Amino acid sequence: MSEKKEKAYRLLEANNLLNQIMFRYMLEGHSASEEGRLAWLTSGFPVEIPLAMSLGVVYPEQYGAVVGSQKMGPQVCAFAENIGYSPELCSYARSSIGSVLKPEESPLEGLPKPQALLAGNNICGTVMKWYDAVSQLTGAPVFLLDTPPIDDVQGDHHKEYVKAGLERLITFISDHFDVELQDDRLREVADNSTRAIALWTEILQSCKAKPSPLNCADRFLAMAPVVSQRGTEYILEYYETLLKEVRERVSNGLGAIMDEKVRLLWDNIPPWFNIFRFFNSLAKRGVVFPADTYTHAWSGSFDSPDILNAIVSLYSNVYLNKGIDAKIDKMCELIMDYDLDGFVLFSVRSCKRYSLGQMVSKEIVMERTGVPGVIIEGDMVDSRLFNEAQVQTRIDALLEMIV
Amino acid sequence: MTKEYGIGLDVGSTTTKGVIINQNGEVVASYLRQTGASVSAAVQEVIATLREKSGTDLERVPVVSTGYGRAMVDSAHRAVTEITCHSIGVHHLNPEINLLIDVGGQDSKVIRIGDNGKPIDFELNDKCSAGTGRFLEVMARVLGVSIENLGPLALESSKPCSISSTCTVFAESEVIGRIGSGEKPQDIAAGIHKAMASKISTLSRRVGVVEPVAITGGVAKNPAFRHYLSKQLEVELWVPKIPQLTGALGAAIMSLKKSF
Repeated sequence: MSEKKEKAYRLLEANNLLNQIMFRYMLEGHSASEEGRLAWLTSGFPVEIPLAMSLGVVYPEQYGAVVGSQKMGPQVCAFAENIGYSPELCSYARSSIGSVLKPEESPLEGLPKPQALLAGNNICGTVMKWYDAVSQLTGAPVFLLDTPPIDDVQGDHHKEYVKAGLERLITFISDHFDVELQDDRLREVADNSTRAIALWTEILQSCKAKPSPLNCADRFLAMAPVVSQRGTEYILEYYETLLKEVRERVSNGLGAIMDEKVRLLWDNIPPWFNIFRFFNSLAKRGVVFPADTYTHAWSGSFDSPDILNAIVSLYSNVYLNKGIDAKIDKMCELIMDYDLDGFVLFSVRSCKRYSLGQMVSKEIVMERTGVPGVIIEGDMVDSRLFNEAQVQTRIDALLEMIV
Repeated sequence: MTKEYGIGLDVGSTTTKGVIINQNGEVVASYLRQTGASVSAAVQEVIATLREKSGTDLERVPVVSTGYGRAMVDSAHRAVTEITCHSIGVHHLNPEINLLIDVGGQDSKVIRIGDNGKPIDFELNDKCSAGTGRFLEVMARVLGVSIENLGPLALESSKPCSISSTCTVFAESEVIGRIGSGEKPQDIAAGIHKAMASKISTLSRRVGVVEPVAITGGVAKNPAFRHYLSKQLEVELWVPKIPQLTGALGAAIMSLKKSF
């Protein structure tokens, strides 16, 4: 049998532009830090406000993904474990704390030094203590935007409470950085966010096409700007370019993978240390992931006369801040809308908030959609928790159920 | 390739099993041995023995491999997971079975079997040795009895003692503690089986206990484990004659099918 070394997937041309803007983002983070105006943010924090108030921003969670991708997770997490942090703690938190402790031995020499730490607990509760720990090490003050969980509909008392939090945030930034929030600047930033999210949503939805123009790893890379540079104007060109390329793929019948046979849903953050190997080895077998719950989390719009109200609504209603039903509904909706044959729930050992409830979700989603699902275990950064052979058996068995 | 016979090879973590069947699905020969350190040596010996026992030239017979070492079998034409193979194998032996509990040396699995014998849902326990044959091996060693005698010893107990079911390592210290405090070996052995049955019954309930229920894998040969599991799940357990061969049988059946 002759072995052909053909790639099972197609590379995106827009990736060149992506690399450029990620480089720019990194440089801007460093210059903001040097100018004494850099904030570290959690992924679900209303970035529009610090951005409109001229702060530079970087994201420790995104840095965790970098640590994972560079396969440095065990080493950098160990810096935090060595001073007493539990290996059970979130690996984004461990890699963040670890890199603050030993930047010289961490990827990119750690994140640039922060002057403020802005944490929102809409995506996770660990962030409060994690940012406190970083504050102790760096001296930067912490601001916590508290968004209590929402069971069903966000009540008026809840909206008022979160809005008061935003007002406190504005005062916090004004006091620490001696800047005022200009309404027209906030409107401009919010419009940029709305535009970026709209482009992103359109890109995601194009994956309803068969074959799907994007696979999971494509989306996990492409989401970086909408997560970290949402609100800036310069990312819009990238998403316009990507959307154009995706549309071309769809109209030419070109898929993200060469021979699409099985379409699956992915739930949770990916195993960053193994992302290409994992998704590309499945691509070789005709398996594509046209949708996932994670990259679909950045959605919504600030198109409202009162921007603060729009911010309150959008950031309180992320599904990690809602009951488990919201995520189950989302999964069922994606399986139906994207015509998927099955689903993979990645149980991330150190991300309890995202992984909790997967077992019962699996049962309900299978029942509602009639397609099979499987839970695989591992971690996003800490590769010590990922057993490839065991994951392989579960995925193989799922595919045997489908084909 | 001749379709007269089909071979299934189940390379498990503890034992390697081989089954050869004819086109009517009847077992012509089977063989089981310890996997040991070399998968290829184990596989070669299993094939040689099947050739000898069946008196057939196996040169052009289709082979499907399964088990944790399935990808390492060079002679296999296809590798299929142990989940699908166990499901197909047990369905072939008893088409009524809806739920299969397989407890092997290093893992345990619970599989819901669909109408055509294919799995429709499953759960695996493979990150923790509690709830696997390894747990019983460790406990037999602590009690100083052979693995074959551990089950019968437990069945002599009328007052099983309580053993933590969470972890093999902790349970081992607990058993040593029980020995130290003068508990009877029968009662300790019974407690060990109860603890393990509780672990497996939880795994089963996660998939959903739909009767009739079968049990396979090496641990299915242990009468005390079957007794306690059956009691905890409140169901009768159906056991094949040679429970360890079910996966290999399923693989052999798959080798005779064009696709599945």
